Amino acid sequence: MISCRNVSKLLMEDRLASQSRWTRMQVRLHLAMCDLCSRLARQLEQIRSAARQVGDADPGLEERLIRKLSGR
Amino acid sequence: MTPPVLLERLRRRDPEALAEAVRDHARPLYRAARALGFAEPEAEDLVQDVFTIFLEKLDGFEGRSQLRTWLFGILHRKAMERRRAAWVDDRADPIDEVFESRFDANGKWSRPPADLERLFQSKELGQAIRGCMDGLPANQREAFVLREVEGMETDEICKILDVSVTNFGVLMHRARARLRECLESKGWKK
Repeated sequence: MISCRNVSKLLMEDRLASQSRWTRMQVRLHLAMCDLCSRLARQLEQIRSAARQVGDADPGLEERLIRKLSGR
Repeated sequence: MTPPVLLERLRRRDPEALAEAVRDHARPLYRAARALGFAEPEAEDLVQDVFTIFLEKLDGFEGRSQLRTWLFGILHRKAMERRRAAWVDDRADPIDEVFESRFDANGKWSRPPADLERLFQSKELGQAIRGCMDGLPANQREAFVLREVEGMETDEICKILDVSVTNFGVLMHRARARLRECLESKGWKK
């Protein structure tokens, strides 16, 4: 059976999608049974979603840039 | 690939085509610049620089890649220039040892990930994540931002950053491990 270390590594390297079906199935099974690895997987999702909230622009950004660039 | 019609209009300096490119790409570029640690006015300035260079170099752009990939490539180079950040060859990163130290010889957790639910539910999460992202080396931060903030595919990120798929995996692993360790170290454990 695939180890917690290897599951964590695959999750963190973002390489799960490129693995064989067998490996992906092993990871899914492991996550279903291992609370700690599924906690890690959940935290990686939460980190992603928090990082997406960092710094969106105000609504006027595009028009300001178009004005500045058109003046060139 | 960039549609030839759009490319042709851009080459003719059609103002509407430029406006279209700005409307399609300025916001993600700005968001990435902010996530890379640039303050608001500097991020906008950086995005303006990206489009200025884009217009200057447009005749050399053959349209074989997506316009977005090209624009983010310019952003990557300008951000590195402004930060005077070296693209360090960090073959031995101490975070790898920290990661390995969490497992025993059989690959089982010996130091499991702490429960950080209190932090993830907190209003201070944004500030905490920003602080931790500031602690990432430039190359790890860029890989993380392009993947996690912009949701780009591996191939496109590898083109923008000029790294191999394997190298990208290493950058992502280190960025995520470092961010998680940083959040855990902030004392939010249950």
